[in-house]
Amino acid sequence: MSIEDIKKELYNNVLSGDFELTAGLAQKAIKEKTNPMEVINSSLIPAIELVGEKFGRKEYFLPDLMRSANAMKKALDILEEEIDKSGIERKSQGKIVIGTVKGDIHEIGKSIVAALLAAKGFDVVDLGIDVSSDMFIDNIIEKKADILAMSALLPITMPYQGLVIEELKKRGIRDKVKVMVGGAPVTQEHAEKVGADGYAGNAVDAVKLAEKLMKE
Amino acid sequence: MPIRGFKGGMLKFLSEDDLKAIHLATVEILSEIGVKMEYEPALEIFKDYGAEVDFKNKIVKIGEDILRKGLLNAPSAFTLHGKTEDTDIKVDPERVYTIGGSSALNVFDLDGNYRPAVFDDLIKLTLLQNKMENLHIMHAIVIPSDIEEYGVDRLLFAGAFPYTSRNYYSQSQTGADGVLEQLKMAAVFQGSEDAVRKNPMFTEVVCMVSPLKHEKVNSEVIIECAKNNIPVYIEVDAMPGGTTPAPIAGCLVEQNANVLTGIVLAQLIKPGTPCIYSIASGLMDMTSGGYSGAAPESNLLHCCTAQVAHYYNLPFQGGTGIDAKISDAQAGYERAMQVLSNALAGTNFIHLSFGLMEMMMLASYEQVVIDNEIMGATYRMLKGVEVNDFSLSVDLLRKTGHGGHFLNYKETSEYIRKNNWVPKITNRDSWNTWQLIGAKSMRDLAVEEAEKILKENTEPIIPEDQTEEILKMAKAYHKRAQEKLKK
Repeated sequence: MSIEDIKKELYNNVLSGDFELTAGLAQKAIKEKTNPMEVINSSLIPAIELVGEKFGRKEYFLPDLMRSANAMKKALDILEEEIDKSGIERKSQGKIVIGTVKGDIHEIGKSIVAALLAAKGFDVVDLGIDVSSDMFIDNIIEKKADILAMSALLPITMPYQGLVIEELKKRGIRDKVKVMVGGAPVTQEHAEKVGADGYAGNAVDAVKLAEKLMKE
Repeated sequence: MPIRGFKGGMLKFLSEDDLKAIHLATVEILSEIGVKMEYEPALEIFKDYGAEVDFKNKIVKIGEDILRKGLLNAPSAFTLHGKTEDTDIKVDPERVYTIGGSSALNVFDLDGNYRPAVFDDLIKLTLLQNKMENLHIMHAIVIPSDIEEYGVDRLLFAGAFPYTSRNYYSQSQTGADGVLEQLKMAAVFQGSEDAVRKNPMFTEVVCMVSPLKHEKVNSEVIIECAKNNIPVYIEVDAMPGGTTPAPIAGCLVEQNANVLTGIVLAQLIKPGTPCIYSIASGLMDMTSGGYSGAAPESNLLHCCTAQVAHYYNLPFQGGTGIDAKISDAQAGYERAMQVLSNALAGTNFIHLSFGLMEMMMLASYEQVVIDNEIMGATYRMLKGVEVNDFSLSVDLLRKTGHGGHFLNYKETSEYIRKNNWVPKITNRDSWNTWQLIGAKSMRDLAVEEAEKILKENTEPIIPEDQTEEILKMAKAYHKRAQEKLKK
């Protein structure tokens, strides 16, 4: 398999969401002494971007999106490890601590966002569901996170997003971390009310928002 | 006289063989995979009854023996009490009743504004729904934005229970303490806590998350309800393709394992605890990941789940909100398909069927009145057709002979009075007549009707001083919950 074939296969497998093969293809690319950064930029990113576009056009559905993200992530993990080994400074997209807030046990929306963020090269620390303010904040400090992403699906747990932001202020680290909020009942107004830096209505927009927040 | 609803169940999508296959798959899941229960005392109870419990991973595996024993004790028929004898309802796996909307964040008010709900909306929408003759159980239709949310269920109780004659469908967000505090509030009206335990005028719901998980607060509420004889809706909110397998059959298996675990838990605590097999599941819209309660696939799922619940001789709550944002053609078709299919399938409690729109986010005043109309037409369908000597009317046909008409007969007058449904805001005039009387749309008429009802009904159903006492208690309980949260 030529390096061009490997790259093409990677592109195709991310596009089709066949995640069983992408790790192996990434390893082959490394054996061929290809620049891993080049593989990411020329194969993986164009593929996942096309997936996002197709999802926007309702040509792809959620399971397609998740499978493609998974395919991307499996290749990315191997290529990034290689970049780290080579000593080249790898530019992470950013580190994100994510979770569903305390009192709320709804997982799937948060997990979709986490998977897409990971596929786009963010370092994602997923704290799961029913996450307390202390757990969020301890992880932000310990992992030196750039972004905190909080999900709430229940109207009755939405205010907890505000409570965590208040706690960030009390502990003097509000300016160290960007905060994004989401979840079915969450709105832009709610995001503003609780003092978050951004809100996204779906997983694709959440990734765009995270990229935007990293540039700020 | 208590209400005895019309019987449904004539619409069946699953065969007896299908149901047996779903049962056997459920037994396999429960006995081999098990269910995760976060509340240790619940695990202890299952262990005491001989279930295989993995305390480290909090998994309980329920063998068919325990499942059968639990289900054997679950009653198939019981009474849910309203505040008057004529609002009591006789529940069984055949009769169909309606439950109002729940937990919306926003309202579409009578001035045509979409805005956050406030406490006053809860009272008004409860008073409005209370005048709807096709509604049998009252929920708190909104979660007011002017209240801190943790422990809000106590204030929902104070804003709904005093303003309805119907059995009140409650929830406890914080666990066992919420059940007990609500019991105390009901006792203000019912005279004593024992009177509440004897004939509870409220119920509780627990909402399980798929797949195969019971959170601590759910088990706590089930146990407390069983101890206090409070009927409990054991509900799972599945999203096929997301939180359960995408095929409806696979979703039915997951739901079944999840709900039956809760019902068995209640029966192990106290045999005979009234439990309602419940779902508020909805299709995951795969273009957005959002919830759709009104998709045809959701209706199919609810109809099939009715059959699964009835397989165990348990009453079933199904039905959910609609997706439309305003009372337009989408709202009409979604609501009509949903309630009609559920009624025909024998869903014993058609849930969230008044005023609830925008995937449960919005409560609409005018839609409450429109839904009452759609429900009325639905119940007429359920009432069905009687065939006997009187209705066959051979003697009348003989008497009338060829030509002529039947308008002169007392039998005609009696029959239509007894059987025909008289619409309130449905127009059957010709275009010209309709123009002459103002050419009002159904929405216009619904708004007028709602305005009229709210002008005439402003007082609670129970005495003013008791209403105030309950509100005072609710505020204190809410404050305590808030303090507990901040700790």
